[in-house]
Amino acid sequence: MTPTGSLEPRHAANPRAGRAGNRRILARRFAHGLFGLIVAVLAGGFIASALVRYSPGFEVDENSWNPKLSAQTSAAIHERREYENRLPSFYARYLMAAMQGNLGESDAFHVPVTELLRERAGVTAGLLVWGLAGGMLLGGWLAWLAVWPRRMSFEISAVSISGLLLALPPAVLALGFFLADAPIGIGVTLAIAPRVFGTMRALWSDLYHSGSLLAARARGTAPVVLAWRYVLCPAAPQLVALGGVSLVLAFGILIPIEAICDVPGIGQLTWRAAVARDLPLLSGLALIITFVVALAATIGELVEDGPAGGGGFDGTESMAEPA
Amino acid sequence: MKTVRGMAVVILIAVAAMALFGPALAPFPYDRQFRDATSAPPGGRFPLGTDALGRDRLSRLFYASRTSIVLAPAAAAISVALALLIAPLSLSRVSQAGRMGSPFRAAISMITTVCLALPWIFLFIILRAELPLDTGPAASVLITFALMGVAGWAWPARVFSASIGQMERSGWMLHARATGMGPWRIALVHGWPQLRAVAIAQFRILVPAYILAEASLGLLGLGVAEPLPSWGNLLRDLQHPDLVRANPAIAAPLILLVIVMICLEALQIGQSGPETGAARAKAMGEPV
Repeated sequence: MTPTGSLEPRHAANPRAGRAGNRRILARRFAHGLFGLIVAVLAGGFIASALVRYSPGFEVDENSWNPKLSAQTSAAIHERREYENRLPSFYARYLMAAMQGNLGESDAFHVPVTELLRERAGVTAGLLVWGLAGGMLLGGWLAWLAVWPRRMSFEISAVSISGLLLALPPAVLALGFFLADAPIGIGVTLAIAPRVFGTMRALWSDLYHSGSLLAARARGTAPVVLAWRYVLCPAAPQLVALGGVSLVLAFGILIPIEAICDVPGIGQLTWRAAVARDLPLLSGLALIITFVVALAATIGELVEDGPAGGGGFDGTESMAEPA
Repeated sequence: MKTVRGMAVVILIAVAAMALFGPALAPFPYDRQFRDATSAPPGGRFPLGTDALGRDRLSRLFYASRTSIVLAPAAAAISVALALLIAPLSLSRVSQAGRMGSPFRAAISMITTVCLALPWIFLFIILRAELPLDTGPAASVLITFALMGVAGWAWPARVFSASIGQMERSGWMLHARATGMGPWRIALVHGWPQLRAVAIAQFRILVPAYILAEASLGLLGLGVAEPLPSWGNLLRDLQHPDLVRANPAIAAPLILLVIVMICLEALQIGQSGPETGAARAKAMGEPV
């Protein structure tokens, strides 16, 4: 409550001041999101460079085995290499090279990491779009069935379908589609849908009980208008945020699916890099994935919170309400 | 709803008993080969048949259940314990007051951010790739589940941070401080009883998530190493449709896994409101 005793915020009397305040808050939130993104990428880069730096055999220099070189020269080479590869300087060089698009060369494929990523990014992006769009549509529809019609049979059916899909490992689900020569994208969709079901059910439930919707229904507003104006529009920021968060889980789901169903995407590349212990490739992947996922999550949270939000990607405030 | 949950509890107890007493119930050791009966169909001697190496599938299923059912809760306990240790540090009054300095809090926040930004399975794969190639089967089991536990702390830590943040802003906390109670006493007498319920909920969310995660890793060949069986590496046979057509009993581990997962899901129903339901969806999705 303000000192005047009114429940309205103080700037409500002065719209210009209110808009300026909102802009300031939005700018602060944007700066906070950007800071979180930069921190995430820097930390991801650090993990990546530390992995390469401490990988087995990294310190070995082939020149030091040259029998034509004297012991002193070999020692000097070794010393120089040790100096050059101290973690902070190595990290700085790795990050500078990464910003110029050079993520090193894959040990297993003997091809630049960026080239491998470029070749496979399209396949994974396609599956991600399929999976996220389809998964959110299916999950949203199941959640709607569980909340909106207010029928026990619908609710039980929706929860059962979601529970059954959740009980199956995503890779097994996709494997079924792969063996049946059906599009794997449907498998990805079915894997993602139950994982967004809970959040969407909570969201639809909140909206169903909102006063504005009840009033609109009482006025006899058409169902299409109800769905658009009182459900989808108010839910849009949360849905965008859910999409951003779901990108992490979608990529996690894609790794086993691509590996098992022989899809030449980034997920399969990750699996191959892990099996071959290709640390330069894994490091490049870590950097790129951290950037993409952190960017998506930051955008999602900025959209969700708007100027009045109270959370951040560090998750110390927004987590108060996990929904 | 009570009936469903009761049935789920009975089934889970039966599976847990099978897992714990599996070695006594199994007709043969999990690694015993019958070279005269490779890929044998189900029959009197081998109720679920044998695999390509002539090992009894039923015996391997008993042992695999023990691996997956016993170690997934252990990994979940590690994650929850780590989260309980880390979450208060990110919000503690000590760090807020600046004595431990804001860089400390920022570092924890940064680590959490990175762990949340990277897909869980990717983080696990990176850590797994750093380990030696000649890891034995027993060590691989421990490493797999320990890494799961260590890599999966960020989500529960996020939830605990939120709960602690709410507590710090609550009226009873203010009242407790006003009465002169020390921070440890507040934490133990008032904080922990409230946090305990959240910790138990997180534990129950993580157990099925880790069972599924082990299955996915096993399918990829990055989980528990042969010859030790787990549900994950038993599922690998499903990649050969000819084998499944010849012996549908190969799908037995998948059926058991689905039954256990559904029972664990059924236990969550009614326990969680929309808030925890959403958290569950997030946490469940992350480690698969």
